[in-house]
Amino acid sequence: MTGTSAPPNLRGLVSESAGGDYGATGFHQRHTAEPGHIVEIAKRFRESGYVLEMMTCEDRREDLDAMRLVYTFNRAVADRHVVFVTLPFGGEAPSITGEFPSGDWFEREVFDMYGVRFGGHPNLKRILLPDDADFHALLKDFGRIEDAEGGGE
Amino acid sequence: MNASQSIMPELERAPGDERYYLNMGPQHPSMHGVLRLLLTMRGERIIKCEPIIGYAHRAHEKMAENRAYIQFLPNTSRVDYLSGMIYNIGYCQAIEKMCGIEVPERAVVVRVIVNELNRIQSHLLWFGTFLLDLGGITPFLYCFDDREEILSILDRVTGSRLTYSYGRFGGLTRDIDETFTEQSTAFIARLRSRFPMYTALVHDNIIFMERCKGVGVMTPEVCAQYGVTGPCLRASGVGYDVRRAEPYGGYERYDFEIPTRTAGDCLARFEVRMDEMEQSCRIIEQALADLPDGDVRPKKLVKKLKPPVGEHYFAVEAARGHFGMYILSDGSDTPAKIKLRTPSFSNLAAMERVLEGTMVADTIATTGSIDIVLPEIDR
Repeated sequence: MTGTSAPPNLRGLVSESAGGDYGATGFHQRHTAEPGHIVEIAKRFRESGYVLEMMTCEDRREDLDAMRLVYTFNRAVADRHVVFVTLPFGGEAPSITGEFPSGDWFEREVFDMYGVRFGGHPNLKRILLPDDADFHALLKDFGRIEDAEGGGE
Repeated sequence: MNASQSIMPELERAPGDERYYLNMGPQHPSMHGVLRLLLTMRGERIIKCEPIIGYAHRAHEKMAENRAYIQFLPNTSRVDYLSGMIYNIGYCQAIEKMCGIEVPERAVVVRVIVNELNRIQSHLLWFGTFLLDLGGITPFLYCFDDREEILSILDRVTGSRLTYSYGRFGGLTRDIDETFTEQSTAFIARLRSRFPMYTALVHDNIIFMERCKGVGVMTPEVCAQYGVTGPCLRASGVGYDVRRAEPYGGYERYDFEIPTRTAGDCLARFEVRMDEMEQSCRIIEQALADLPDGDVRPKKLVKKLKPPVGEHYFAVEAARGHFGMYILSDGSDTPAKIKLRTPSFSNLAAMERVLEGTMVADTIATTGSIDIVLPEIDR
């Protein structure tokens, strides 16, 4: 993680970029990209001294009719870039493990919780749920966890 | 049994292959919580390490999608029960930022004080259990003696010893009083008087040195690759601290240093944490000296909180590093998604690289020194 390097040039890789209104949302820049470009985007962030801060997924079938992957990149002097990647339900995205080893566990968690598969991932298996689980728990149609009646922590 | 019948094909090996497999945990006496390390060994050397997690998964992120924002508040301190205050107040600060809720000046300062007390408490527990892992039972008793003081101070004000729910959107539940100020001041004096003893008892101990120096080295490159943060990253020479990089909750007002070391080994991580306790003491002193008057409770109670539509990210510096919350709001009173980016998750992920090629006896020292909290990893 280095200090004040310039943000990477993402021209041609992202379809939409905008200032993130850091004061209100916590993002300095927002980008939207196609799944095919995410590895190259990750590479450019890595080369500019950024780290993969977080990666997750959203079940947006209700409003976008798709799943949406969320990557945030940051460096020591805060400059948080968020990259949104939309892909169809049941689709596959390329793995960024080759650029950031931290992507390994993040992608496994997304696979575990949302069923999104990552092409080229060296070891794509469940991470938090049991290996023999037959569900992806954070999908909106998986169900709800109701408050246990009288149950404690 | 031939390969096609094997229930664990990854554990198959050819005749003459001298590798063997060792499961450390999830029930190992010196393994933290319910972590399992699947070690591929040759002799006493680790060829490959695969951390296996998830034994303490409680579906906090799923629960978040099932309830109103305020109802998720008690969950936050249970994610990491050792720095529960920082998580609890961090969540409040995230929601306040999303909704533009103002916090009374006194509450801002009190939050800093209780956060730093919580950080010291977490480091003290780590200190004790780390030494316990290395075979030293005595320091544990001294640390818990100190730590108990903080738990009592916070218990009196917040009503809980570990799983605090002290924060509210826009303030705190209860105000602190004179006794709290006196107790905190007395505690800082007491802790400072103990530091020379800790140095003499632990840091100057030759056995401790031998177990820690040059063991479990994390380079800044490995830290960047795996997203390692907190004292582990600072022990590798990178002075990244969320309180300095993205000041929140009034931290920009206080004069404190970010302790760093360059060695990146277990000893460096130990020294960074010991220095951080002193810096936390400094922050508490400054905050207590400049405590504004007024109310700490929220100015206005919002019954149905509906944050604006969109994505939000808010990070705080927890005892183990960068704790981030990614919150997606769809405009309703229930979060559409909350992702908890917990520091130990990334710190532990680096273990597969750090432990590769080391001796099995150093595994306990290395995993102990990164200060993992399994419920925080498994969420």
